[in-house]
Amino acid sequence: MFEFISSLFSALSASKKVLGMNSRNLTYIRPHNLKNARILADNKIESKKIFKKNNIPTPALIAKISSHEELEQFNWNLLPDSFVLKPNSGLGGSGILIVYARKKGAQNVWIKSNGKTIAIKDLFNHISHILDGAFSITNSADIAFFEERLKISKELKPYSYRGIPDIRIIIYNKVPVMAMLRLPTKSSDGKANLQQGGIGVGIDIATGTTTTAVQGKNKIIDYIPKTRMLLRGIKIPHWNEMLEHSVRAQEVSGLGYLGADIALDRDNGPVFLELNAQPGLSIQIANMAGLKDRLERVEGLKIKNAAHGVRVGKNLFGGEIEQELEETSGKKVIGSIEKIIFNGKNNKSIEVDAKIDTGAYSTSIDIDLAKKLGFSATIEAFEKINLNQFDIKPNNGSIIEKEFLKKYKNTIPFLETVAVVFAASGSSIRPVIKTSLVIDGEKIVAKINIVNRSNLKYPAIIGKRNLHKFLIDVSK
Amino acid sequence: MENQFELNPLIELIYSQGLPEQMVVVLLLFPIIATFVVLLRQVFGLQAFGIYTPTIITVVFMAMAHKSLDDLAYPIAIYIFVIVIGMLMRFVFKKLRLLYLPRVALNLTIITFSVLFILTIAGFFGMTEFSFFPILILITIVEKFVLVQIEKGTKVAASLAFETLFIAIIGYLIMTPITPIGQYISIGVQEYPYLILFIIPVNLILGKWTGLRVTELIRFKEILKKIKS
Repeated sequence: MFEFISSLFSALSASKKVLGMNSRNLTYIRPHNLKNARILADNKIESKKIFKKNNIPTPALIAKISSHEELEQFNWNLLPDSFVLKPNSGLGGSGILIVYARKKGAQNVWIKSNGKTIAIKDLFNHISHILDGAFSITNSADIAFFEERLKISKELKPYSYRGIPDIRIIIYNKVPVMAMLRLPTKSSDGKANLQQGGIGVGIDIATGTTTTAVQGKNKIIDYIPKTRMLLRGIKIPHWNEMLEHSVRAQEVSGLGYLGADIALDRDNGPVFLELNAQPGLSIQIANMAGLKDRLERVEGLKIKNAAHGVRVGKNLFGGEIEQELEETSGKKVIGSIEKIIFNGKNNKSIEVDAKIDTGAYSTSIDIDLAKKLGFSATIEAFEKINLNQFDIKPNNGSIIEKEFLKKYKNTIPFLETVAVVFAASGSSIRPVIKTSLVIDGEKIVAKINIVNRSNLKYPAIIGKRNLHKFLIDVSK
Repeated sequence: MENQFELNPLIELIYSQGLPEQMVVVLLLFPIIATFVVLLRQVFGLQAFGIYTPTIITVVFMAMAHKSLDDLAYPIAIYIFVIVIGMLMRFVFKKLRLLYLPRVALNLTIITFSVLFILTIAGFFGMTEFSFFPILILITIVEKFVLVQIEKGTKVAASLAFETLFIAIIGYLIMTPITPIGQYISIGVQEYPYLILFIIPVNLILGKWTGLRVTELIRFKEILKKIKS
């Protein structure tokens, strides 16, 4: 009964860390995104103007068409070889037309992203639809505009199918709180929209490195479907710049709770796509973390400027990668020097600093440490044996080991086996004992060599035979 | 329904003016149905076409199937028919590239004929007693549907239509005097109409409710599991 209540209680407190629709609307959007700011966010041309005024890079505006009259008189020769046609108040990416190149040998015929051609007549119809409000949020008359087409960056190209990936960053109180990379896939038809089957990859705010990933609404994935492209550990280029641009965009837009959409252009680096006044909640699944918890942590902080906000965000919401890695791989991340507890005889355990060395095959400890652990008798008995009777050569290790054990196993207490080491600096035979040790809370039973390490810095070295439950972070 | 219970004087006064009982009961129930829809949406997280649509559909169901639960099949059939035709028309109109209003008008025309067809079939089964307005209301659902379809796609629109229908059926089963609960409720509102005021604090609480919806608990279950551990 008590267990049931406590699990119910922990479920309840866990659910308080996740942001739901009710809370998003009532606690964050309503009080922090006032009407004027929301109108600005829905107006792409106006947003663009504000970005430009504040030196936030954004795709260049080529031309706009505000009425049927302007459409009739439009000079089609103004259009470059590639461009994007958008409705000003389009909803959820609807009505967007991407043109890749001008068709060779034809006057004003272009090629679309799906390879089909499009002529002025088709553009005219599409724009006419936009003007009538076919794609607009309110179904009322709209404006069509042409903007520069972005080119996909080298770094992200391998991860996306056809379209351009973008990065969503949630900014609250001038602090970046959560971010995800959205990748267009084959099943989303080149659109980076999660609802349509795109992939959302969580990003660690501190390092700009991707963590966990979700496809569509709820499917947790490690790789891009049907490929060997690992989604974890992608380093987002220009990460700092993106964070700072987003915080500044929040300042100038007046949206207190902002979803900033940024793309990475091959030539121009990060460019600001649009402001989002009602950012979705799936970003939490991509990051496997609750947004509400994070929003509450930045609530009321006094942030002086964009750089300060970025610093605060990085300090608060970073370093989850390691934990992430541990959970997804089932392996713990340890450093190259770790505190290890060795369990000896008579319930004796000693903690020492040990070197984690993937270059070594097995684990060795110093004679002195072995004595302290209660293996004095083993060492004394071993030292009485004349080792010169064994002639160590390359490849005869296992023969010597067998011979040694046959002769002496019963005379040496606690001896598990011996290790025969053939090395240029001096070949040796070492006693091997079996005991348990604890690395970062993991108990491991290991065969350990005893060797003289008195002239070395660390009294123990952990070799790769005992490290298969761990990943080693050399910077730790 | 026989008046074996003691009417509230206020309700008695209303009846004495010659207002039909069924209408008065439905009007009294209207705010309760609306609150019920709010509860399903805010707390359970069912989506629907706003609050008005599921509420009014519930009332339509109550009006069209006030004699027996079996009659519910007709309004449900009409509802589904309207939605399916609205959905199919989308693909036809997409090619024609028509403006929004003429498109909805065309939709309405086709749907009206289809509904006439359904009613004729219903006549074969001996069901002839349909009132005009509930059917009209069902037909107008198509505009809601097309609107969502344009903005969020056919899939979303279809699922919203389904959830609206689901809410309306549940609402109907709870409110219609045919079921035992519905009987208690409809007698209750006539005996103690002031109890309806109780929904004011309920809505005030729901209006400030910021907890996760039941559907969100499911949607975010992986995160919740992770946070717990």
